[in-house]
Amino acid sequence: MTNEALTRVPRETRFPLNLAVSIPAIDRLYEESKLDIWAPADDVDWTSGQLDAIASEQLQAARRVWSRRAWLEYTGIAETPALLLRFCLERGREVDAKFFLTVRNTEEAELVDVFHRYSELLGGYLVRPADPAWEPVINRRCHSDALNPEVPLDAYVVAHCALEDGLELELFRAYLANAREPLARTLLERSVAAKTRHARFGWSYLEWRAGSLSASARGDVVLTLVDWLRKVAFAGYHVPSLATAVDSAPEQQAQEIAAAAGLGAATAMQEEHVLRDYLATARQRLQALGVALPAVSHPRLGPL
Amino acid sequence: MSVANETFNSILAQPESCFPLELGKRNRNIGKLLRASLTAQWNPATIIDWDGLDLKPFTDEQRQALRVRWSRRAWGEYGAIAESPALQIRFCHDRLDADTRLYFAVRTQEESRHAEISYRLAEKFGGYIDAPAEEYLGSVSTHGIRRLALDVDVPVESTIAALVCSAEQVILENFMHVLKLTTQPDIRRVYQLILRDEARHCAFGWYFMAGRLPLLTPAQRGQVRDAVVTMIEKVELNGYQLAWLAPDSNASRDQIEGDRILWQAGLGASVEELEKPVLISSLRAIRDRMKREWDIQLPVFHHPKTGQI
Repeated sequence: MTNEALTRVPRETRFPLNLAVSIPAIDRLYEESKLDIWAPADDVDWTSGQLDAIASEQLQAARRVWSRRAWLEYTGIAETPALLLRFCLERGREVDAKFFLTVRNTEEAELVDVFHRYSELLGGYLVRPADPAWEPVINRRCHSDALNPEVPLDAYVVAHCALEDGLELELFRAYLANAREPLARTLLERSVAAKTRHARFGWSYLEWRAGSLSASARGDVVLTLVDWLRKVAFAGYHVPSLATAVDSAPEQQAQEIAAAAGLGAATAMQEEHVLRDYLATARQRLQALGVALPAVSHPRLGPL
Repeated sequence: MSVANETFNSILAQPESCFPLELGKRNRNIGKLLRASLTAQWNPATIIDWDGLDLKPFTDEQRQALRVRWSRRAWGEYGAIAESPALQIRFCHDRLDADTRLYFAVRTQEESRHAEISYRLAEKFGGYIDAPAEEYLGSVSTHGIRRLALDVDVPVESTIAALVCSAEQVILENFMHVLKLTTQPDIRRVYQLILRDEARHCAFGWYFMAGRLPLLTPAQRGQVRDAVVTMIEKVELNGYQLAWLAPDSNASRDQIEGDRILWQAGLGASVEELEKPVLISSLRAIRDRMKREWDIQLPVFHHPKTGQI
């Protein structure tokens, strides 16, 4: 990405402005999302948690896990408006996607609020990673990529909204599967519902666009996917144990303890299984849509 | 994506870290708005019984006027989807309080439902029109908010003051006026719901500015004032919301005539002679409030149709 690209003003051609449904699958998602908006302060019984009986060490571990969750979710607070702008800047992009993204951002705001509140209950939200080496891994500046004209929009959507959001969904399902503490379960059930829609958005958009993508555009998609795997996934953004440039042992330990305590986490091993299984499924799904994602080698796990 | 040649000092090109990520620093008033927005959701798809809405009582003339009016509203609301989200990126860049960052996400979603319901109404009454007439384009196109929000050299406070405390405040008061004149139940309901949302949007602007103004330098306060003046003179008084303020053209005359037809039937519009005092009162109230609360003095505005305001 060049700085020059980020200082130019993209020109929008607003009219003719088509507001009709173009992608029925995404229109349905939009409709579903509108019906599932809720207020964390009012719709969750924050006293329903059973945290008093949980050991301090377990609470501390979970606090670390849930604070990290808030940091990751927060990425969307700037990324989604940027992506929405990008859809509006590109002529002829579908209004269903634009409308959906507005609700997606509401859901992200809800989840940031929820993860922050729960971290507070666990002993206090942490404003940054204990190890500063994590900061560049988590601080991805997706909003800049989303608005960068050098990054093709379709490639961006496939990498971040289909592949990445799909992985997030599977990880949250794993967190939920391990959650016994009632409040954690409630919050993760809400999260999974939202993240299911987010992943469906990405995959539905690819399904809609796949037929019209040129060979060159498909090549861009593959490059972006590989780049995302190498620089984001393998850096430990979602699955800390994948990191090779940062010592993830403290994160893994926290995950292990929080998972065992039923506080809505997954162990490193569980997360890696989720990743492997998900990538295998996603690769087949991409292949069926004409996107051949090659195996990408992780320094420790080998080709994935 | 086509790219214009103009370059500026964009926040996107600046190094930035989200850490320390403060989520506990709150703005209580904006937090209340966030909560109210999340609990006051409504759905354009179901808020009106679209299949049951009987068009027989409407004349052809009224239907045509309604489709034009709501198409125009859809274009206006769409601007808040296509441009204002840049403000949220800016809020994150400027590390503003969590409530401001989170509230604006919901605010954009509310704007999308305004665009959606406007589109649905236009469709219902004969079909949404996807573009204004050529000679009317200048009155309904971009505010330039996207560019302003991303420009490091433009304080975000000036954009909020102009867009929210000025432009949206004018719309809010115009809508309150139109609501009083509207008797058709479905259209009245739509105005009520949009008004409820817009009241929160305006409240956000004033709460936001109350917290930020004390932090601004005199030069930045000057930028706030200039931005408000530009918004009122170049956008509002150019007919962005009120067709009778737009430069005379066949399209603006058609719009004015359409609004008259709707006003006569209580179908959610007003006319120049009634809107003019509301506009003047709104602009005067904005000037008074900015002087009183911000110690910022706006100039006298002028438009051939209103004289000095």
